Parts: sequence; structure tokens; C-alpha cells
Amino acid sequence: MQNDDTNRQDQEVLELLKDYPMPAADAGFYDQALVRATHEGSRRQRNRWMLTGFGTAIAATIAVWMIGGMLLSNPQLPTADSAIPGVTMALAEPRTVNLVFASATPLDSATLTVTLPDGIELDGFPGQREISWETSLNEGKNLLPLTLVALTPTGGELLARLEHDDRDRTFRLRVDVTNDQPERTSG
Amino acid sequence: MGTAEQNLAFERLVRPHFDRLYRLAWRLTGAKAEAEDLFQELLIKAFGKLDDLVEIDEPASWLCRVMYNLFIDEQRRFARRRLHTVEEGHLPGDGLEGMPGAEDPVRENERIEQLMRLDNALAQLSDEHRIVVLLHDTEGYKLTEIQELTGTPVGTVKSRLHRARARLREILLADGTIS
Repeated sequence: MQNDDTNRQDQEVLELLKDYPMPAADAGFYDQALVRATHEGSRRQRNRWMLTGFGTAIAATIAVWMIGGMLLSNPQLPTADSAIPGVTMALAEPRTVNLVFASATPLDSATLTVTLPDGIELDGFPGQREISWETSLNEGKNLLPLTLVALTPTGGELLARLEHDDRDRTFRLRVDVTNDQPERTSG
Repeated sequence: MGTAEQNLAFERLVRPHFDRLYRLAWRLTGAKAEAEDLFQELLIKAFGKLDDLVEIDEPASWLCRVMYNLFIDEQRRFARRRLHTVEEGHLPGDGLEGMPGAEDPVRENERIEQLMRLDNALAQLSDEHRIVVLLHDTEGYKLTEIQELTGTPVGTVKSRLHRARARLREILLADGTIS
């Protein structure tokens, strides 16, 4: 019976996936992309040639510019949302938690690094204790859904470190794991 | 600009594959802005390889592989899709707006809600699982085509597909989309 249910559910999922839509490209997008490609492609080819001759000088200039940029920018880093102090999950049962970052200003090219406690994994990233993304934050609340799986009942503290330029802030989320067996329905 | 002859030769080679490439970009990134970025970056890269491109028998497969590799190389950049504003709700795939209307608006609304929940469920998968299930079950790629595109052995592709479907079933059961 359970197999029948599973097969029927799989079929429902497949039908949804087949219907999963995707809009066509905007009118004119292909033409614009083509023009940009030939223009930008040619420019990059010229730049490659220039870099061959003047590589050292150009590299030094870029380094100074980057340092200057970092010194000049002084963004307001977001604060952790107090609505997500902790989460309790069952052993071996994936659980999606939403981390919410409230940012007073938009932040481009921020790096978010999630560090997991022992015995907790991010679904799809087996064995990885630390995962990083480059991301941008909009003004207001920003949501990061993370699907966690507890492999041991230890639990611990998940850290989400947000870095932007030379500033950083660490957000903490307590993860508790229960030994309760998950409820299962029989078909 | 390249020479007019170069530009024309490039356009002749790539334009027939634009729809296929755009669809792949969308499925890889899961969002319009990132799909357009990836598509654009592919064309720029391909233009720089025009001399190689004219010699290739199957430019579509080559372009798809280059796009996939670009996506993997710049995954951190394209992984922006993971973070989206709460105000956007769970609509990272704004493709749902492009759905055609139907004769029964109530059923159509229900279907759109189901697809929004599917969208949310897909966003919870890892990239490797999401990409495999979308390419296979939505776009109709064969396992061997995914193997060729991603350089992943067929056995691993099958395993990812199985796990991705199981995870989707679990999420969609939990939120009541399927029963």
C-alpha cells in the first residue's frame, strides 16, 4: 500500500515538474545580447593584448583602486532578526529553517559563510562543515532558507557570518536535536 | 566591435541555439536576472572562441557545456538566488507569471499555487539535485545528455535524480501540495 502511495505521489511530483513554467526571453533580449557579446568580446580581446604588454603596471593600479574602494565604503551591516533564536529538529529528518537578515541598506557582493556544528549537515552538502556564498542583500528583510539534517543528537550552534568589505557580523542559531522517532503514516 | 564578417559568422553559428541556451540558463540559475547574466557571459566567451567555434560539428552541445562550466565556475556569483527578499515571498522563479490562462480560473489558480510551492521546494534542493531533476523531468534531457553536459557519471546522475525526486515528494507532502 505504501508503495502504491509513493508511486502515486511520485507521479504527482512528475506532473508538476512537467508543468513547471519558464517565460520566454524578453523581446529584443537576444539581439541586445548579441551586440553586447561582439562589443565586449572584442574589448576583452584587446585588453588581453594590453595585459600581455603592461600586466605589472595594470595589476598594481587595480590593487590600489580596490584598497581605496574598501577604505571609502562604510556600509551599515544588518542585524540578526530576533525571531529566529533557535530550532529543534528530529534526528535524520531534514528540516528547513529560514534565516532572516534585516538590512538597513542594500549590500552588494557580501559573503555569507555558514558554519555547522558537529553532527549537523546542510542537505545536499554532505560532509561540509563550512559553506560560503557570495550574495547581495536588499534593503529590508532578506531570507536564506537552509535545509538541515541532524546526523547525531548532539546539536550545537550554527553560525552565519556575513562579510562586506572589511566588516563582518556573525549570526547565531541554536540547533537542538531530539531523539524522537518521526511520525510515519502507513498506507 | 569585431569585423562585420566576424559578427555575421558568429551570429549564424549561435542564433539557432538561443532558445535552447536561454532555457538551460534559466534552469541552471533559477531566476531571470541570473539567467540573462549567464546567457550574456556565454556569448561573450563564445565570441572570443570564434575560431574554435567554426570548427565544431555540434555547436549547440559545445555551447551548453561551456555554459554549464561557466555556471559552475561562477557558482558563488549565481548562487545569489538563494537569498531573496521576504517581500518577494517564495517566488524566486518569476516564470510563474508567464503561465497561460485557462478556461477554469479557479483550477488555474490552484495549479499556480501548486507550482509556487514546487518553486519553493526546488529552492530548498542543492544545486546539483535541482539541476538534474529540472533538466531530466522538466526539460526532457536524457541521462546520457546530462552526463555529457555535466561530466558526471550516469550512475551519479541517476542517484541525484532519485534523491531529488524523493526530497521534493517529502517537501510537497509536508506542505499539502500532494497527498
